[in-house]
Amino acid sequence: MRTSVVINSLLILALHASVTPARAGNGSDASKVLSILSDADISEYAIAFVNMSTAPGLEGATLKIDNDQRHSDQWRSRLGFNAEFTLNDHIYNGYWGLAIVGGRLEDSIGFIEDNGEPVQVDVTREVVGLRGSLGLSFPVDQYFKLRPFLSLILSNMENEIILDDQYVQNYNLPFNRLNGSAQMWSTVGSLEALYTRWYGNYQLQLSGQYHLNYTESFSEDNPILETEAWNDSAQLKTRFSGPTRLTWAGRPWQWNVYAHYTNFLSTSEAAVGYDDFFEIGGGLDWEINIKPLDWFGWRFLGIKVGVIVGDNVEGYSVGLTGR
Amino acid sequence: MNRLIFLAIGTCFLISACARSPVFREEGYALFRSNYPVVRVNGVEVEPSYTLDIPSGENTLVIVYHTYRFDYHCTFTWKAAANTVYEVTDQYNKYPLTLYRWAGTNGLWASRLDPIDPLECIPKQR
Repeated sequence: MRTSVVINSLLILALHASVTPARAGNGSDASKVLSILSDADISEYAIAFVNMSTAPGLEGATLKIDNDQRHSDQWRSRLGFNAEFTLNDHIYNGYWGLAIVGGRLEDSIGFIEDNGEPVQVDVTREVVGLRGSLGLSFPVDQYFKLRPFLSLILSNMENEIILDDQYVQNYNLPFNRLNGSAQMWSTVGSLEALYTRWYGNYQLQLSGQYHLNYTESFSEDNPILETEAWNDSAQLKTRFSGPTRLTWAGRPWQWNVYAHYTNFLSTSEAAVGYDDFFEIGGGLDWEINIKPLDWFGWRFLGIKVGVIVGDNVEGYSVGLTGR
Repeated sequence: MNRLIFLAIGTCFLISACARSPVFREEGYALFRSNYPVVRVNGVEVEPSYTLDIPSGENTLVIVYHTYRFDYHCTFTWKAAANTVYEVTDQYNKYPLTLYRWAGTNGLWASRLDPIDPLECIPKQR
């Protein structure tokens, strides 16, 4: 009986990515900590990691969360595009995008057992998903556009929990490792406001995005992974770019610097260790300017380097970009 | 693995077969395409159109970029070469529209070359 309670607790842990370390630190024992977790917590924590890896507007990043109770490494990546397409005889254009998205979280959490001993739990999560977006782009004037769009994300998440040996012995557990998986679909409604202005040969782009995300999770091997949640997030982005004297294959290079702010508005910091961050960086874009399948334009292929800072989180973003 | 490679190559061939080559009206003409309507050709008003056969040599086209506050009437003047494709699109440039020479690279993609800004873009209140 006791073993099954512990196993259930661990399954909840698997959902949570952590047992909210601050609570664990304050609580007298692990079961008490687990008992105060609500269904809402479960919904939020389980899905937060997936949303923070797959939601529109997020770019590839490697993040580290490091404090007394928690040591986490997280990365996310995406390969895809967003593009407008013209709808003849209409002022508005269409907007669409496709992306393969993925992420991984390695979370090492310390909490307190019944006997007061610290227990280490290592949680590893991986998610791979496919995201499709479709919407409209409304040009208000030459400089300003509004883009409402809807995204559908299908993803598969894998969990693995590894317990320390002492905990396994204390509760006579027949294993020290738990695996689980969940399939999720998310529907995201987004609104983007985009402002572009030129100053001589230099371009300034400002954008604000808001995303409202509904996610449902299904699992055959773990009923606790059957859950759902609403989340929202917002982003502010600014980008300044200009020409260089560099050319390659007859095509020019541009430099750019950027600053982004991302806030996962309704996701608590306990879910994955942070709820907002700043990213600043720069890059070089090569003007490839091709039209695949004679259909949509692909103008820039670039490289970027960025630094991420926030409360409890730091990291970097290095990668290839396409615009 | 081999099956995946063959599938990828087959898909590329299939997709490239769907990309149509441009058709020129006759010798001495160029093909002009635009994402936005052309309303004036060499000083003559025309029904809004998105594809035109234009004679080689200097041409002046007025193309309207629609927004909810203004219609921007952008005037392009350039020397068109025969049997060449040109296209106008919006690409977040200094002007709302840019003219490119289109060159088919292969069955999978084409290149946009030699950008030309409009002489002017006059905003007209809607």
